[in-house]
Amino acid sequence: MKKLSKKALNKSFRNWYYGHLTCFSQEHMQTFGYLCAMLPIVEELYDTKEDQQKALDTYTAFFNTEPQLGSVIVGVTVGLEEAKANGENVDGETINGLRAGLMGPVAGIGDSLIVGVLIPLLLGIALGLSTGGSPIGVIFYIIAWNIIVTLGMRLLYFKGYELGGKAVEFLTGEKSKALRESVMMLGSMVIGAVAATWVNVTTVFQMINEETGEAYLNLNDQINSVLPKGLTAIFVVFCWYLISKKKMSPLKVMLLLVIIAFVGVLIGFFDPQLQY
Amino acid sequence: MEINVIQAALLGLFACLASMPGMGGSAIGNYTLGRPLVGGLVCGIILGDIQTGVLVGAAMQLLYIALVTPGGAVSADVRAVSYIGIPLAMLALKSYGLDAAGQEGIGLATSFGAMVGTLGTVLFYGTATMNLIWQHIGWKAVKEGNFKKLYLVNMGLPWISHIACSFLPTFLICMAGAGMVDTIKEILPMDGIAMKTIFTVGSLLPCVGIAILLKQIISKGLDFIPFFMGFALAAALGINLVVATIIAMMFAFMNYQIKTSQSVKVSTVSSLEDEEEEDI
Repeated sequence: MKKLSKKALNKSFRNWYYGHLTCFSQEHMQTFGYLCAMLPIVEELYDTKEDQQKALDTYTAFFNTEPQLGSVIVGVTVGLEEAKANGENVDGETINGLRAGLMGPVAGIGDSLIVGVLIPLLLGIALGLSTGGSPIGVIFYIIAWNIIVTLGMRLLYFKGYELGGKAVEFLTGEKSKALRESVMMLGSMVIGAVAATWVNVTTVFQMINEETGEAYLNLNDQINSVLPKGLTAIFVVFCWYLISKKKMSPLKVMLLLVIIAFVGVLIGFFDPQLQY
Repeated sequence: MEINVIQAALLGLFACLASMPGMGGSAIGNYTLGRPLVGGLVCGIILGDIQTGVLVGAAMQLLYIALVTPGGAVSADVRAVSYIGIPLAMLALKSYGLDAAGQEGIGLATSFGAMVGTLGTVLFYGTATMNLIWQHIGWKAVKEGNFKKLYLVNMGLPWISHIACSFLPTFLICMAGAGMVDTIKEILPMDGIAMKTIFTVGSLLPCVGIAILLKQIISKGLDFIPFFMGFALAAALGINLVVATIIAMMFAFMNYQIKTSQSVKVSTVSSLEDEEEEDI
C-alpha cells in the first residue's frame, strides 16, 4: 500500500501554486504547470522510469482552468493517481476524463467568484482606504489577498486529495450553489458602492435665459436631484447593455466612448474645464 | 521629474514578475503586483513619490477592477498598465502641474491606462508565442524521460520571453518617457479639443470596467437591484465601502439562509412524495 509523503504533497502543491501559468502559451495553457505539479507525485509513486513516463503521459493532455480554484482538481487527481498506483480500479483515461470534465465548470465558478467578486471586493475596500494617496489600502490588499488565496488554495488542494471524487460532488452541489448566489449578491452591492464612490461622469450642459444671463436649466443638478450621480449610473448601465446584451467587445465599447466624448466636447455637453 | 537607468530597470523587472503569464506566479505576480493599485505603490517607491504613485494607481485600478481573462483571452495587459502606464502618467501629471488627487488628474491617469493597456495586449501575445519554443523543448524532455528538465522549461526559460517582451519594452519606454511627455504637451494644448476629449474619455472609461464586471454577475434587469442598492448607499447616503460591504454581507447572509432552507424543504417534500407513491 503506497501512501504519499507529506513532503511530496507539499512540493507538488508549491509547484502548482507558483508555476501554473509561468510557461503559458495559447496552445498548451496550463499543461506544463500541471506536469510540474504531478512530477513529485509520480516520482514517489512509481519506481521505474518506464512507469513514471507512462503515468506522466496522462497529464500531457491540454489543461486550462481558473488556477486558484483549480487547485482542487490537482488535489483530486493526486488522490486518484495514488489509488491507481495501489492497483485500484482507476486508469489514466478515468483521470483525464475527470480532469477535462472539471476544468470548464471550475473555470466558470472561479472566474465569477474569485476574479469577479473576491478581488474587486478587496480592491474596492483598498481603494477606499487609499483615498488621498495613502499606502495603507495597498498594504491591506497585499496582505488580505495573499493570506486568503494561499490558505484557500492549500485547503482546496489537500481537501481534493483527501476526498478524491467526493470533492466534485461538493463543488457542484446545492449548498455551494446557494453560497455562490449569495456571494454574487454581495459582489453586486459592493460593486454598486464602488461605482458610486469612484466613478464620476458629469455634464456642463446648461440652458441660459438670454435676458438675465442666468441658467434656468442645469442638467447635472437636475439629474442629481432625481438620483445622486445619476449620469454615472446611466453610463454604467449603457456599457453593461452593450457588452452583455449587444455582445460588443470591451475594446469596441471603449472606442464608442471615445466618439461619444469627442462629440460631447464639440457640442458642449462635456467640458473638463481645464486650464494651465 | 526624470526616470534614470536603475529606476527604468527596476520597473522592467517588476513588469516581468507581474504580467499575466508572469514569473511571479499568478497569486503574487499577476493578482498582487500586477494590480494597478499595487503597481502604483511600487512605482511610487521606485520613483520616489509614493502619494502620486498610489493616486495614479487607484485611478487606473478602477478601469481594470475586473480584469477577467476567460480562457486566456486578454482585453488589456496589466504589466503595461502598471509599469508603463503609471510611470508615464506620473511624469505627465508632474509636467502639466496637475494635482493627482483632482478630477483632472484622475481623468488623465485613466486615459493613459486605457491607451497603454490596449497596446500591451501585443506584449501578452508576444510572451505566449515565445513560450511555445520552450514548450517544444519540454515535450522532447518528457519523451526522453528527462523529467527534471520540466522545471527548467516551466520556471526558468520563460524568463527569456519576459526579457524580450516585458523588460525591454518597459525599460525603453520609461527611459524615453520624459521626452515623450514633453512632445505630447507641445502638440496637444490643454484647452484644445483633443485634450478635452482625452480627459472626458478618462471619466467615462471606468464605466466599462464596472460593466465588464457586471456582465459576470448580472444577466437580467432584476439583478440590478442589489447593484443599485449599493450605488444608493454610497451616492445618496455617503456610506463608505467597508460599511457598505458589511450591509451587503447581511443581505447575502439572509439570502443564503433562505436558499438553503428552501432546498431542505424541497428535498423533504420530494422524499415524502416518494413515500406516498409507495403507499399507493
